[in-house]
Amino acid sequence: MNDDNSPSAKAGASSCTVLDQGETTLADLPVGEIGVVVSMKPSLRGRKKFADVGIVPGTRLQMEAHAPFGGLLRIKVMESSLSIHRDDAANIIIRRQDRP
Amino acid sequence: MSRKYRIVLAGNPNCGKTTIFNCLTGARQHVGNYPGVTVESKTGDFMLGEDEIELIDIPGVYSLSSSSPEEGVAFEELTKPGIDLIMNVIDSSIPQRSLYLSTQLAELHIPMLIVFNMSDEAKKKGLKFNIQKLQSYFGCSIVQTVGSRGDGIDKLKSALAESLLHLEDHDVPKLTYGADVDDAIHELEAWIEPAMTDRIRHIPARFFAIKLLEKDTCVMRLPEFQGLDAIIDAQITHLYARHAITAETFMADCRYAMISGACRDAISFTQERRREISDKIDAVVTNQWIGLPLFFAVMYLMFWFTFTCAAPMTAGIEWLFAWIQGLIERFWSPDVQPVLRSLLIDGVIHGVGGVVVFLPNILFLFLAIAFLEDTGYMARAAFVMDGIMRKFDLQGKSFVPLVLGFGCNVPAIMATRSIESERDRRTTILVLPLMSCGARLPIYVLLVPAFFAVKYQAFIMFLIYAIGVAFAMLAARLLKSTLFKGEGEVYLMELPPYRVPTAKSILLHMWDRGVMYLKKAGTIILGVSVLLFIANNFPEKKTFDADYGAQIMAVSSDSNLSAEEQSAAFKHIENQKRAEVAEYTVSGRVGKFLEPAFRPIGFDWRVTTAAISALAAKEIFVSQLGILYAEGEVSEDAPEDEQEPLRRQLRRAYTPLQGFCMMLFCLLSIPCLATLAIIRKELNSWKWMFFEAAGLFVLAYVTTFIVYQLGMLLRIGTNYLP
Repeated sequence: MNDDNSPSAKAGASSCTVLDQGETTLADLPVGEIGVVVSMKPSLRGRKKFADVGIVPGTRLQMEAHAPFGGLLRIKVMESSLSIHRDDAANIIIRRQDRP
Repeated sequence: MSRKYRIVLAGNPNCGKTTIFNCLTGARQHVGNYPGVTVESKTGDFMLGEDEIELIDIPGVYSLSSSSPEEGVAFEELTKPGIDLIMNVIDSSIPQRSLYLSTQLAELHIPMLIVFNMSDEAKKKGLKFNIQKLQSYFGCSIVQTVGSRGDGIDKLKSALAESLLHLEDHDVPKLTYGADVDDAIHELEAWIEPAMTDRIRHIPARFFAIKLLEKDTCVMRLPEFQGLDAIIDAQITHLYARHAITAETFMADCRYAMISGACRDAISFTQERRREISDKIDAVVTNQWIGLPLFFAVMYLMFWFTFTCAAPMTAGIEWLFAWIQGLIERFWSPDVQPVLRSLLIDGVIHGVGGVVVFLPNILFLFLAIAFLEDTGYMARAAFVMDGIMRKFDLQGKSFVPLVLGFGCNVPAIMATRSIESERDRRTTILVLPLMSCGARLPIYVLLVPAFFAVKYQAFIMFLIYAIGVAFAMLAARLLKSTLFKGEGEVYLMELPPYRVPTAKSILLHMWDRGVMYLKKAGTIILGVSVLLFIANNFPEKKTFDADYGAQIMAVSSDSNLSAEEQSAAFKHIENQKRAEVAEYTVSGRVGKFLEPAFRPIGFDWRVTTAAISALAAKEIFVSQLGILYAEGEVSEDAPEDEQEPLRRQLRRAYTPLQGFCMMLFCLLSIPCLATLAIIRKELNSWKWMFFEAAGLFVLAYVTTFIVYQLGMLLRIGTNYLP
């Protein structure tokens, strides 16, 4: 688990400048927290694929888990559980919401 | 009057299409609880009253585009002319996501029937549907089913019969994506209409208009629409300026907005209970710290289960074959048709029996794999293993096929189709034969107890599998850093909720695999065993180089020898004679010819012929040794274990080092012909197939060479066992 925090930290640092108040990237959402998709950065690859499974502006997401050794995140989207890569998640901008 | 109809089953991955397919057609296609079990279209027929229905099960997709091989297959199948009806199966426990595809299918204007499958799970979640409203929305009938229990199938059939009556005057759904989008679609339609050729005229221009607006690569490439770029771009820029969203996701956004409108209208939550149990299990299983150790424990359990539970059944089968052999020997005198008798006993019973003995192992291995698939654990395994796989330049999705490879490489290679990244897919296919399949298991089960003490057996077995995995990982890394260099593709995989697997599904899968294995034993292995028996025994040697009769006479008349020395001398002469006979046969000659090449890796001509014939099927290695060493075997041994006499002979003929080298070579060398054929098919290239065969042979030879020579140098395992 050596580099668990570094990718997200890097992604966070590079994107801080463009984020509005209260916005963060999906990669930085802690486990258990909820966020709403605000926009996708132009650098997001395969945006159509994400859009097809429901990751579009306005969708509520919940971070469910981090996989061992960095890489994958498990996210709840529209009642289903998706695993996506942290690097891609760092290109999805969200606004954190308080848990109900 | 009876008619023939063509119906396509479409839906998201893992929504239960294949279960519905099996319910309707009575087929027994494999289902599993992870996305992407169906990787190619399958067709089944059934009668509905008087009508004949051809049902086509296509791979599950999230969207009607072409960003993965499966989507390509689905897109092509759905845009072919001649489809009478689309049966759209959706997982009604996640309606929003599932209806996304429905909105795209609806635009094809082909009569549709929507199946709200898994309605028991939807009910448990507290979802209530206003079916009436949804029906008018999509302009088609909706039926609720629980495919796994077969609930609602009768209703589905009657709804299908009803829909088929109204094919000519079916409703066309009126989907709206917002005023400006609808305008853009309309405007494009006017340009598309005149460009359409007969080839694609069965698809509405509106469908193409939408696809062009979202810049679908597959539709953009159609020759009919070349030259429309400027008009499309104008419309997109127009929309883009107003909505500040890119073209690729614009339509997705519109569709989800439309669905969420429809859902607000027609779907209500009675209580909030979402995947509670599944989430609780996942909190542990996919946990950052517990996930991996738990995974290794599951894998260990799987192999333990495969070997331990099969043991009593294996003993039963061994007993059965020994009994049959005993029966033949008792009632068929050696003087009557000796060649046929020997063919039956040494060729058929030793060859086929030696392979059938492993049926229980195969059954339990597939039982374990089917259980892991059906509960949904496989998808989690991919999730927790992704991090490690990435260290070897593979990814989590490669993982499920690699585990399936322990069962049989052929379906495992087909399962790689769920990997979108072509580079990852090719790499996975090429390294997959290194995963030691079920057919190689008999080789180890024969050789490990022959050469290693009980306390080391489990370790050696594990070591062999681990060597395969290690080489697969290293090979993947090598391939990804040389031939398949490049940036990885986007990773996206759904984790299905845990489900209690139905006993029927698991047992059927096990049964089908068992039947397949027996069929292989009864056809390929039987055939090759007979051929090998012939090659091993003919041509017969009639005249000998040395006069063995005279030698025997000389020994028996030598009064200086004690009785023991005499019998030892007889045995020596007898063995020399037998060796001469064996070397005169076809396999003897082939083996002898190749022996110099294989000697440096510790093989004699017998093992060489076994290794070559194992190309037909890996189990043949065991059969061939069984046949070769069965000759002259005195059957007065009590048949305590069918393999035991063979193991004794092997111990006499080879050192443990040689035994280990045999296993190593069988593990790494060219896979069976069936695997090569599927590699050719999946990579669509003879070149890659030969590359694979040559590469694996070199890998096997070099590795075995190093191990054997090092072992000889350091004198590890070079002594014959007592």
